[in-house]
Amino acid sequence: MKNLALTAGLTMVGILGAAAPLALATDTRSESRLDIAPGGTVNLVNNAGVVNVHAGAGRQVILISVTRSPKIEVDQSTTPDRQRVKINTHVLSEQLPTDDEARVDYDVTVPVGVAVTITTATAPITVDGLRGDVVLASETGQIVVRNISKAHVHIRGVAAPITLSGIANGHVEITSSGGAVELRNVAGPLVSVGTTSGNIVYQGDCSGGGTYTLATHSGAIDVTLPETASVDLSARSISGFVENDFPLQQKTHTSFVPKPGSSFAGTSLSGSSSVELQSFSGRIRVKKQ
Amino acid sequence: MNCQQFQEILPYIIESGGNDEEEDHLQTCPACAELVQDLKYIATQAKLLLPMHDPSPRVWTGIEESLYRQGLIQEGRTSLMGQITIFPTQSKSWTPMGWLLAAAALTVFSVLLVNYRPQLPPAQTSAQNSIAPPAAQETADQQLIAEVSQRTPAVRRAYEDSLREVNAYIADAEQAVASNPQDAGAREYLLDAYQQKEMLYEMATVQTLP
Repeated sequence: MKNLALTAGLTMVGILGAAAPLALATDTRSESRLDIAPGGTVNLVNNAGVVNVHAGAGRQVILISVTRSPKIEVDQSTTPDRQRVKINTHVLSEQLPTDDEARVDYDVTVPVGVAVTITTATAPITVDGLRGDVVLASETGQIVVRNISKAHVHIRGVAAPITLSGIANGHVEITSSGGAVELRNVAGPLVSVGTTSGNIVYQGDCSGGGTYTLATHSGAIDVTLPETASVDLSARSISGFVENDFPLQQKTHTSFVPKPGSSFAGTSLSGSSSVELQSFSGRIRVKKQ
Repeated sequence: MNCQQFQEILPYIIESGGNDEEEDHLQTCPACAELVQDLKYIATQAKLLLPMHDPSPRVWTGIEESLYRQGLIQEGRTSLMGQITIFPTQSKSWTPMGWLLAAAALTVFSVLLVNYRPQLPPAQTSAQNSIAPPAAQETADQQLIAEVSQRTPAVRRAYEDSLREVNAYIADAEQAVASNPQDAGAREYLLDAYQQKEMLYEMATVQTLP
């Protein structure tokens, strides 16, 4: 009888012991509101998980975070002048968290006109509807930016796929090593994309009289323009090949000698925007929408 | 005599024909024999380039710097000019043709050594697999890989792939600039390639989990 009780007791302890980490691994949600000055900046650093940022009314940053382990802490602070809100993801314990424990999901609402700077390792980043500058960097997490106007959008990625859509009057600079870059309806005074091996897709009208530069080493470039696009376009590949299905008037003066299959240049309508496509060894294709 | 010793005095051998020991090595080493054959062919073709002038000291300085960069000669060793002038009996017989041949031989020799891959199939069209980064750059790359070694395998792999690709980009762009220095587009590629690499280094050193 004594042995039976002992066995039962040990079993209970075992069950509780096994259940404890599971209980600790449950999600912990917290919400906070942080004051920020007009034109201020939200700076967020996260490793894994998800980061969603969107615009909201009011003058406060609303931060909702979901952590999965007590080994991780979300540290948030505001500078005395309220110009900057800092949100950092910390490892608390000396014992390193597992990949799942290290995940923190963020949902951040920022007032109109506030800039955001976000850095992640694997966490995907989604930014939607902001009216302030956006600076994003991720090693492998997907980056999605939507519906932004009159702002600087600077993005860097190692292998992170990058998608931008609905960017008006933007100053867009993207540097990606291996991640593909997709731009849909992105326009502004400056749109510059550079990749090493990532493919680049642009679909839009290149409006705004801006300078559009899409460059890659070995990636492919696909550009789809509507017939109404007013562009001064040049495409050149050193060892790849180029294709053009878009009606262009041939230019008489170019910075290089057009070579069939390797380069071409021409204008459409008044040629108000400059579009330069450069792929060292990849294919370049321009077609009509 | 081994290959290294043989190749160190290759210009002299091409010029004079070499002694018995060098001749023996040539008979038994197909790699050096092939090299000498190539150089003799270049020498034959070079005769068509007459009239010629002595190369300026800048040529020798350039070759020497190139060999240092490629790790083929080490700091503290006698300079190329010094190596040549230690053979006083030879120095008097250095004709303009001799200078040119020596320059051509050294240049070709360094290029051949750098690209020599006896076990590999013929050279690839892309620089990705055929041009190794300079030693200093390689060390820096290894430091970068070490920096990201604690991160997840996917992130580490992303950096390794990206480094390999950006080095190929730099090599391709350098080649394009070298073959056409007036090409503004090629220079833009080179600038872009270095910016890509700079971005990788910056990304790798950012602390995402303080």
